[in-house]
Amino acid sequence: MRLTFDDDVEAFRAEFAAFLEANLPTEAEAAERSRSTGHLPEWARRWQRLQFDTGWLLPGNPPEFGGRNATVVQQFVHLQELSRRRIFHSFNPQGVGIIAASLLSFGTEEQKHRWAVPILRAEITAALGMSEPGAGSDLASLRTRAVLDGDHFIVNGQKVWTSGAHDADVLLTFVRTDPDAPKHKGISVLLIPTSTPGVTRRPFAAFTGPEDKDFNEVFFEDVRVPAENLVGPLNQGWRVANGSLGHERTLMWLGDAERMGDLLRDFHPSTPLDKDWYATLVMDRQALNLLGSAALARAARGDTDVPALSVLKVLGSEASQKALERALEAAGPDGLTHPTTTAPYYHMSYDDAFASWFHRYARSFGGTIAGGTSEIQRTIIAERLLGLPRR
Amino acid sequence: MLFEFDPDQRLWQDTVRDAVAKECPPALVRSVVDGGADPAPLWRTYNGLGWTELTDPTEAVELGIVLEELGRAVDPTPYLATMTQFAPLARAGTWAGQSGAAAFGGVNARRDQEGWVLEGTARHVLDGDRADSLAVVTREGVFVVPAEEATAVRTSVFDPLLHVADVTFAGVRVTDDARGTADPERARHLALAGLALTMVGACRRILDLTLEHVRTRRQFDALIGSFQAVQHKAVDMHVAIERARALAYFAMMTIAADDPRRRMAASMAKAAAGECQALVFRHGVQLFGAMGTTWENDLQFALKRAKAGELLLGGAAEHRALIAEECHATDL
Repeated sequence: MRLTFDDDVEAFRAEFAAFLEANLPTEAEAAERSRSTGHLPEWARRWQRLQFDTGWLLPGNPPEFGGRNATVVQQFVHLQELSRRRIFHSFNPQGVGIIAASLLSFGTEEQKHRWAVPILRAEITAALGMSEPGAGSDLASLRTRAVLDGDHFIVNGQKVWTSGAHDADVLLTFVRTDPDAPKHKGISVLLIPTSTPGVTRRPFAAFTGPEDKDFNEVFFEDVRVPAENLVGPLNQGWRVANGSLGHERTLMWLGDAERMGDLLRDFHPSTPLDKDWYATLVMDRQALNLLGSAALARAARGDTDVPALSVLKVLGSEASQKALERALEAAGPDGLTHPTTTAPYYHMSYDDAFASWFHRYARSFGGTIAGGTSEIQRTIIAERLLGLPRR
Repeated sequence: MLFEFDPDQRLWQDTVRDAVAKECPPALVRSVVDGGADPAPLWRTYNGLGWTELTDPTEAVELGIVLEELGRAVDPTPYLATMTQFAPLARAGTWAGQSGAAAFGGVNARRDQEGWVLEGTARHVLDGDRADSLAVVTREGVFVVPAEEATAVRTSVFDPLLHVADVTFAGVRVTDDARGTADPERARHLALAGLALTMVGACRRILDLTLEHVRTRRQFDALIGSFQAVQHKAVDMHVAIERARALAYFAMMTIAADDPRRRMAASMAKAAAGECQALVFRHGVQLFGAMGTTWENDLQFALKRAKAGELLLGGAAEHRALIAEECHATDL
């Protein structure tokens, strides 16, 4: 156990901090706000491309994919430096964090250069088509159908909760290619450009406000997708799904730690009761950082302990949600004001990060619902970590 | 920071765990409670294993590993009081093989021509009735005195394995040599983190026993551990333990490194252990059903050790108040 990083890691941190110091877009340059997770204003594209070209976008990647072959620990301090300054390295997080990463793991060389590199260089943006009206937590029951017809797949069906799809150029879409196989064994993954005839995207608003449109319904009606857009082997999509989310899992807890860190700075307790929960927040954040860094040490040895990452997700998402609930309620009638800001303006963050207390609290449910609900995580922990019997 | 045991610490944990399983099994603990067996031979075993030599602050994590395992076994010896309360106040190398306890308050020291006179009663002293030596914290310094100089009255408490006593010093004469230079504030950090790890260990025992129960108990033609209502409570116990354990070892790390965050970290450890025991006690008994409420079930020992820990050295709410005061001064 150790409280400090090695000198080479600190040198890496300093080098990145110097890069940020010299290259961060100014507030004036970043005036145009990103309207969804699939939308990149021109300045955000330039910012992401600069990081790609200098190997700072995803430092763990090789240079041809926007990195510098950094170690897991170096990747961690990279994210720490971004989070400390409330800087998003990409405003298309699912494109960079999940879709490009999946393509680099499961795609062909041709797909990596045709799709992953443009996503990473912010030439195009991507959205993730997994959930369906009838397939949420039970994702493997998805029914969007793809039938091979010569050198094309014909896709019919519907996705929902597809964040940023209305602004995205391509969808990484999970489809059923073998309806007769057991449900986990008949799924494949297709890259579907959103400009393809038969693709209809319908953004809809979240409960935070009628203008807050990131979610989409996406309809596919006889959509012809070239067979070369198949990612990974036919009917092996479930492996890609687990891999896609796996990419995010090792460092996903950092998002919650970041939200808690933001809240520690944004909220100033005055009553004894507020101070009491503030102390809980301090402890939750510290525990999450400690357990997260232990997970990181395991990952550095090549050991991904999925149920232990579920522990981090439950702890982090629920603790930050509870803390935001308290922050909202502590505000009293001032907390009614919406929209408003509850923190200084951070031009390199999504506006969510400093929106009204209600907005911030409401958004915390993304943490406990998306990427496997808290209930699903608990079942994973119970069965795979605590060894309790399955139903 | 990388928060993970290094290979030596993992090996130490395995060694300690094996030794505790062999030397302090549930049957022995039961025999102390129901048969009046003397835990003194077990104390000598710990001495023989070298566990009482872990007094250098740099070994705080290693000491923590022993404390967690002993908490899990519900150790009947004065190890916790000796190592985390007495030792940090006493001069190193002066008490080899002996047990000790600490009187943190209630005693005054008065100087006269011949030396010092100790006067007053320290309440709720852990192992105050059976320690060989007592470290007495006064405003004039810390005095280490042979236990026979004071009068200890053991209190009857709900944890049948715990020794708690009121210790009275009725004009006890000590020379100036007995006055040490230990900083009681710093000593208290180890006491807090040590008690926290003991509680974490006890909570792990509660979870272990509970899991064993729900994996084997059948109702409605199913193992009850397959019911989500049961599974999710068990998971909440696990998460609370992981959280408390992380903060407790973090406190031990700051003590080992003499890191300025140690004060804050010690309070976080104790507060988290307190929150953990509340949830683990509640869910543990609940999941066990009526079977968890009998005297013959060993679950009771771990439950009581965990709960008793919350009542000593300040509870979770008190430490949260300290954290709220400190957190702006401490950059975590």
